[in-house]
Amino acid sequence: MRLVLVGVNHKTAPVAVRERYSVAPAAVEKLNAQLVLDSRVQEAALISTCNRTELLVVTDDADVAIRLLHEFFRDAIASGAVEERGHFYDLGDAEVVDHLFRVAASLDSMAVGEAQILGQVKSAYRAAVAAGGCGPVLNRLFQRAFRTAKRVRSETGLGASQISVARVGVQLARELFESFDGKRVLLIGAGDMAESAVFGLQDAGVRDVVVVNRTLEHAERLARRLGGRGSPLSELGRELIQADVALASVQVDSPLLRVEEVRASMAGRSGRPLLLVDLGLPRNVDPDVNQLDDVFLYDLDDLDRVAAQGVARRRQEVEPAEAIVREECERFERWQAGLGVAPILSAVVDRVRQIADESAQRAIGRLDEPSEETQRALERLARDVAGQLLHTSLARLRAEAEEDGASYYADAVREIFGLDD
Amino acid sequence: MTLALHQLASLLYFAGAGLGALGLRRGRSSTLASWLLGAGAIAHAAAFAELHGQSPPVPLSSFPAALSLISWLVVVSYLGSLGIARVREVAAWVGGVAGALTAVAVFGLWYRVPEANPAAAQDEFWLHAHVLISAFGFSLLALASVAGFAYLAKERALKRKSPVRLALPSLESLDRLGHFTLATGFALLTLGVATGFAWVTGRNLSPWTSHSLGLMAAWGVYLLPVGLRLVRGQRGDQPARSVVLGFAVLLFSYVGIRLLGVGT
Repeated sequence: MRLVLVGVNHKTAPVAVRERYSVAPAAVEKLNAQLVLDSRVQEAALISTCNRTELLVVTDDADVAIRLLHEFFRDAIASGAVEERGHFYDLGDAEVVDHLFRVAASLDSMAVGEAQILGQVKSAYRAAVAAGGCGPVLNRLFQRAFRTAKRVRSETGLGASQISVARVGVQLARELFESFDGKRVLLIGAGDMAESAVFGLQDAGVRDVVVVNRTLEHAERLARRLGGRGSPLSELGRELIQADVALASVQVDSPLLRVEEVRASMAGRSGRPLLLVDLGLPRNVDPDVNQLDDVFLYDLDDLDRVAAQGVARRRQEVEPAEAIVREECERFERWQAGLGVAPILSAVVDRVRQIADESAQRAIGRLDEPSEETQRALERLARDVAGQLLHTSLARLRAEAEEDGASYYADAVREIFGLDD
Repeated sequence: MTLALHQLASLLYFAGAGLGALGLRRGRSSTLASWLLGAGAIAHAAAFAELHGQSPPVPLSSFPAALSLISWLVVVSYLGSLGIARVREVAAWVGGVAGALTAVAVFGLWYRVPEANPAAAQDEFWLHAHVLISAFGFSLLALASVAGFAYLAKERALKRKSPVRLALPSLESLDRLGHFTLATGFALLTLGVATGFAWVTGRNLSPWTSHSLGLMAAWGVYLLPVGLRLVRGQRGDQPARSVVLGFAVLLFSYVGIRLLGVGT
């Protein structure tokens, strides 16, 4: 039983590549179910956030699974596009565990310590469960990942002083504006990250928030929560003229804001600078918009670079978190090693029960017309004795296997009980 | 003594510029840089007090004295602007400009300290008005060009998304400083041109000297940023560029042509 992960993320691929492999939240469960249907896959999960798309499977043949997952990326996710293999990473077993724990603990995030990633991993897990992709291994793996994330947040300073997208957004806005008094924030779409960035800007002093969405009702609902007002998407150009900061986070196939539209809005602003933060994947804003005068466009990769400065400064806080991840990885690997002897232990139990039953039957055969009650009592006695003898030794065996690896003990038990026969 | 105080002021301005530049590189503003500029301005003011303590007073109409006055006013205007906008980070450039102008003035003063002239003190009101008003206007426009230059540098850094940024003030702060200094500086420059014209016509001199032509050319160039920024309310990089260009012309018309030896 092998763990295999193939993925693409913000460290291995620019946003222009990542957006080709991004999966809309609504499609995650369907794709996950499609992956589970393959007979070479025992368990499967698909993790898709704005910074990563990863396929995680439990399989018997790692090499075959890696090929399968690359094909899946190419055919099912990117609709047959030429796969840019150089941007992908293939991980196996211990690497997978370490990677998933680091992802959930936000150590692999663009903004290390940000809180949203745990929610996104939990969503991926829920989708995998709903798609029938989670068995004993992935269930355990995800639960341990959540536990790791929780420990990192509670036992280190990483959660308390997190560098969130909100913080990076505020940091960028401060480069443009002396104060946020009288400034307007335009939220395009209703992504979690954009919403969190709005909260950050509100904490910094922004009072005027406008939410633009395809559905006016959704825009107004979110606007009420943020203390602003909603506006339909058709009004985007007009709203952009009045905005000082615009945060775009819409699920789109092609850019929502092109150079012509932004140029038209900028004509009505008299050179007032506009900070455009594109949190979408695929991107919501044409990258050439940054060439326009007085427009400052930052996409996810740019935020990554800004956040990287904070990470360098906070390395001290990251180290204890990494130690927790290592500790939890070892714990999971021990469990996994124990899992390796589980079929052997099960076979031992079956074999001993078979011996006990045969012994009981032989004893019953020697008795002269035993009653049913006597027969049941003998059968129970034989199983109880066998069970008592096995219980302590099997528990010990499992513990030893978890500590030192399953292979040696598994071979020894097979030999002792003649299980290969 | 005048010369020594000028040298001290120039030294303190350059020290402030150096410390400010160090702060920019390290990504944080330097309060000490502003304090050094303040100390330089005090030394500079003492030099003026010493110069004008003479009886009768030494006129400021000589080139080195006027240049010295301008550099002092640049620093004083910068220190005053700290109450208007958060622009402490431009201390490096203000110190550089003031230090350089003062150094040129020191060289001129060392070469020839202006002599007291009782006649000039009595009947040259328009000349003094022209020198004082123009110097103040010049210093504010110098500050406007520093703000404009810093705006363009900051904009470039933000556009290029460089992870290592100079700790410049926000674009809004620089724009506010640019707006105030351009409006006031241009008004004073206009008044300076008018008082200069009054002086030359009062003495039946020709108004078409290289100095006056240069000043008028600079005034004409400043019409562009003034039109953009103050009349049309335009902000951003266009007014910033035209303010920098305007100051380059002004600097050439006043300092450049004199250093080239063609000015009168």
